[in-house]
Amino acid sequence: MTEANEKSFEDNLNSGFKIFSPSRVMAIAMNTFTQLVRMKVFYFLLIFSVLIIGANVLFLNFTFEQELKILQDVSFGAMTLFASIFSIVGTALLIPKDIEDRTLYTILTKPVPRFEYLIGKLLGILFLVAVSLVLMSILFFAVLYIRQYGILAEETNQIRGQPTAEQLSSLKETIFSQGLRLELLNGVIAIFLKASVAAAIALVVSTFASSTLFTIIVSLVIYFIGHAQSMALTYYFPEGDMHGALQRFIAGIVAIMFPNLQMYNVVDGIVSGQSVPFALMARLTGLTGFYLVIYSFVSWILFAKKEL
Amino acid sequence: MSEDLIPAVKIENLTKTFPVPFRKEKVVAVDNLSLSVKQGEVYGLIGPNGSGKSTTMKVLLGLISATSGNSSVFGMNSTETASRGSVGFLPENPYFYKYLTGAETIAFYGKLCGINRKEIKERTNELLKLVELEGARDRRLAGYSKGMLQRIGLAQALVGRPKLVVLDEPTAGVDPAGSRKIRDLIMQLKEQGITVILSSHLLEQVQEVCDRVGIIFEGKLVREGSLQELIEIENQTELVLENSNPDLLEKIKKLINDQEGVNLIRSGKPKTTLETLFLRETGGESRDAKNDS
Repeated sequence: MTEANEKSFEDNLNSGFKIFSPSRVMAIAMNTFTQLVRMKVFYFLLIFSVLIIGANVLFLNFTFEQELKILQDVSFGAMTLFASIFSIVGTALLIPKDIEDRTLYTILTKPVPRFEYLIGKLLGILFLVAVSLVLMSILFFAVLYIRQYGILAEETNQIRGQPTAEQLSSLKETIFSQGLRLELLNGVIAIFLKASVAAAIALVVSTFASSTLFTIIVSLVIYFIGHAQSMALTYYFPEGDMHGALQRFIAGIVAIMFPNLQMYNVVDGIVSGQSVPFALMARLTGLTGFYLVIYSFVSWILFAKKEL
Repeated sequence: MSEDLIPAVKIENLTKTFPVPFRKEKVVAVDNLSLSVKQGEVYGLIGPNGSGKSTTMKVLLGLISATSGNSSVFGMNSTETASRGSVGFLPENPYFYKYLTGAETIAFYGKLCGINRKEIKERTNELLKLVELEGARDRRLAGYSKGMLQRIGLAQALVGRPKLVVLDEPTAGVDPAGSRKIRDLIMQLKEQGITVILSSHLLEQVQEVCDRVGIIFEGKLVREGSLQELIEIENQTELVLENSNPDLLEKIKKLINDQEGVNLIRSGKPKTTLETLFLRETGGESRDAKNDS
């Protein structure tokens, strides 16, 4: 057989193959999303609704400042919890299950590079987290919107005599400044970014883990260490002492292995009425992008030669 | 030289070892195995459990890497993802996403093969018809029987119009009627010129559909050849008569006994197979087929 013939036949085989195909990645991502949706994960919205309505009912006797604060605290807390659970458990549940069930065989024996499979799975999970957060935000914002008008009516009624326009305007401003405001969106975005990093951590672990349980436990440990990472680094390497190359190297490795998740906790400040500077949100977005790229790359390195 | 001369599959000196945890020695799953499958051929890979059949297939499909040696699909190294563009694979006891319906499953695998949206619809209908699952197209796989799962598995293997189809125990756990359907599908693939590699414990089935057979034992290819070459007993001849009578049989026996060095080993009525009997008595239809509609 001539080399030319061999080459033309090989080219023929290659003709339909793309090294990277967004449509293949999207097929895997949408399949992952459908899988989770059909596993009825959106039932959690019922729990979320109960939590925020409960927060309203239980704390009716508090001052309106406290009531609005508790409602936001509970909502953001539940959103963080659900988003983190979906990220870690969703990732941990799906990839090891594909390996255990040998469903992965049928995918990887199609012209699908392994990194496309990993990216597709990660995107599918992130899409689910994003949709969940949008739905929770709609519920949260709706309850907050209704409640702030309810409070305004209650507070207006408590003013003796006919309230002046000035009094009403001042009251409205005070209540609304602690009610539904654009700043809350930054909190939701920060929660999504943190959940994305958590999903990427679980992705790395699932590429070498032997079971779903192992993936969940190890990912949760990293997730919790991530919240204490900055405190530990500050303790061991106080800022003034961070001069040595070795110290910087160790700090860098620790920061990559255990991302500083405490940085993403901007919701406490938002609930207390502080605003989040644009620079901080940009930094969080950049940092999340960095972690997603690094963790996806590490996952691919570990998964590329995995014997299935 | 024509492209047809490129073997569909070529495995050269393939060795695959697996490490044993906490021990120095390694388990040799495949030992210096070489084989070649021509285009359009149905090749049967047979051997006992643990003989290395599945490992060989996994190397060929890029699921695991060879410790040494090479394997190629239509001349392309099987470690390259692009080589999978011409391959369809049905694993043993396949598990698919049980929350997807039959039609969604085929469409999903079609997308992975790079088929466009419009063609996917046509291809899905075509394949559901081929594997006789049109009636179950909108039912989730969680409700499919084993035979139906095998057939949907075959459909996903064919969705990308592969030139090579690798089937690992395609009839494992399937009833005789379902098994016959899969066998008929393999024959259809052969008629279309598609190369098939089949691994099976059901030797009778291998005998029925395969052109050539390789026997693997302890990781080594111990025999290989065309089916006729392998199973023919060269110094014996078989005569099957229809509507004969005892007188004619006596005459034949006498004629044989008169020949020097020729022995009559046995005579009697040929037997049907249990499978044929089963299919005749049950009307050749499995419950799966009834469930489909």
